[in-house]
Amino acid sequence: MSIVKLENIEKTYNTNGIEFKALWGVSMEVAQGEFLSIAGPSGSGKTTILNIVGCLDKADGGSYYLDGKDVGGKSSGQLADIRRYQLGFIFQTFNLIPILSAFENVEFPLTLKHELKPAQRKEKVERILCDVGLQDFMQRKPSQMSGGQQQRVAIARALVKDPQLILADEPTANLDSKTGKEVLELMMQLNEKTGATFLFSTHDQMVMDCARRIIYLKDGRIESDETRR
Amino acid sequence: MWTLVKLAFRNIFRFKRRTFITFSAVSVGLALLVISITLMNGVDKQSISNIINCRTSHIKIFKQGYFDKRDELPMSLTIADADAVKKLVKSIPNVTGVESRVLFGASLIKGTDELPCLGVALEPAVDPSMFNTKQSLVEGEWLTEGDEKMLIGRNLARDIGLKVGDQVTVRMISSTEGESFSWNAVDLVIKGIFDSGDPTVDSSRVMVPMGIADDGLGMEGQVTEVVVRLNSEEDEVVQAAQAAITKVLTGHDETLEVHTWKDLAGMFLMISEMKTNRQAMIIMIMLLIASLGIINTMLMAVLERTREIGMMSAMGMKSSEITLLFVLEGGFIGMIGSFLGCLLGGLTAWYLEVYGWSMSFMGETMQKISQSIYPVKDVFYADLTPGILIITFVFGTLVAILAGLYPARKAAKLNPVDALRHI
Repeated sequence: MSIVKLENIEKTYNTNGIEFKALWGVSMEVAQGEFLSIAGPSGSGKTTILNIVGCLDKADGGSYYLDGKDVGGKSSGQLADIRRYQLGFIFQTFNLIPILSAFENVEFPLTLKHELKPAQRKEKVERILCDVGLQDFMQRKPSQMSGGQQQRVAIARALVKDPQLILADEPTANLDSKTGKEVLELMMQLNEKTGATFLFSTHDQMVMDCARRIIYLKDGRIESDETRR
Repeated sequence: MWTLVKLAFRNIFRFKRRTFITFSAVSVGLALLVISITLMNGVDKQSISNIINCRTSHIKIFKQGYFDKRDELPMSLTIADADAVKKLVKSIPNVTGVESRVLFGASLIKGTDELPCLGVALEPAVDPSMFNTKQSLVEGEWLTEGDEKMLIGRNLARDIGLKVGDQVTVRMISSTEGESFSWNAVDLVIKGIFDSGDPTVDSSRVMVPMGIADDGLGMEGQVTEVVVRLNSEEDEVVQAAQAAITKVLTGHDETLEVHTWKDLAGMFLMISEMKTNRQAMIIMIMLLIASLGIINTMLMAVLERTREIGMMSAMGMKSSEITLLFVLEGGFIGMIGSFLGCLLGGLTAWYLEVYGWSMSFMGETMQKISQSIYPVKDVFYADLTPGILIITFVFGTLVAILAGLYPARKAAKLNPVDALRHI
């Protein structure tokens, strides 16, 4: 069963009275456990698709089903609930909260869910930080960590709430190639270990090489959909 | 909720310099507020104390019509049987003292100098339990009945150049009604000089034993007022005593009227009320300045943390939670700023309560103020109460929370996609 199903998604932006159509009827499906990259040049609509799938933005036309349920027509509060319980995000610029430690940054989404007791939360956060190799950096603030370490914290933060889908917008764009590769390998390991679905946008060839499926976008349309292995 | 509280508290220390400036604005504003309120209350308290202890006591009984003409000192409106009135009043609950007095217009003549003043003929044995004149003697001795002597206010003595033991001619005015003007002059020795704390009294009054008024003014036992002292200044006690005195006097002499110190200090109370209104305006301005500082700080925080707000929104934080986060930040700024303000203001007010604030630098202006508005000397004492600090703290915090609402709503309304894209 598809975790994500987009049907004829359209999106138009209006900036200062000038309309720009970013997506022209995009349809695609993502299966549970996939490690999928949306590739394409700047302005091709990668981030727009990620924003719509991530319930951060709404499509102007078409339908979007997440885990079989229609997302269209949901209120902003309901969309926030979907993001809180079903989705995880990894950003290009990490977007960690600077005043919180690595542990507290990872714990933050769990405190929003209100599902676990403090002791359970602690155990889970420590485990996931160990999984991303940051067992010795738990009390460090983001400013005391390298870019790669910060992105690992961001990955742990996205994974900690056991989301059905993890969305990553250019996750290696702010990292050097060696660190970027390490982060990608980590994401692949976690994909295999946890079975979480990864959907990320990129125009980095190294990232595309790691993806098992690549959807190429051009001018808001799918140009190709290629399964690598 | 605890996460938001923790996050909000840490956020306010994120930009330490700005936070310090905001705390300073809030705390200095509120400290000034505490100081001004406690000083004004202190001046009111001093003034009321001086009015009661130097001028009016708690209640005065006059002949009907005297109250309205009291500034003219009408000697024809007198109480004939003061002893009977005193006896009736003494039996009323909460009454601790009753004294009959004669207030008369007078002037002091020394050589070619003549200074107008207000004469008060009193009962030397009773007066110390009614007023503070005896306690405030700075030179000489207290009066005894039968003395051909008088007491004089320190400022008046200084103005005309008199000291204890000097003899002075007192022109006692016995009638000013119509076009007639009659007076009698007596030579009296200065027995004591008093400094009551009420500049008006100290600048304008002389005190003589009742016998001097009887002889010099031909009072023949009549008095212009009977003064009543109570064991409490509480409004309820004073009003109940006024009602009880009115009741017992109705059966005795229906031509008498009973007035409380508030009736007699009407002008001061009116000015005090005006001052309270002006004080409320100053409070509003100070709080407005403090809240503008908070709004500015919070708006800066929203601007600087736009991407972070977008990230939190992506994590599933709802608008209400983002609003709450920023409202809590405003609340914490208000709480800490108010606490520091109360601490700073409270300590300063405590100092001013103990040591006072000399207004002597205001020179003649202060003299005019004390003679026409506030019956206090040139040192103002604050009146600090826990209630003022509690109200200031709560009010300061509430204003900060309200000030934080606008930036909080602005943060909550941010579109997550735009916020994440913000540079």
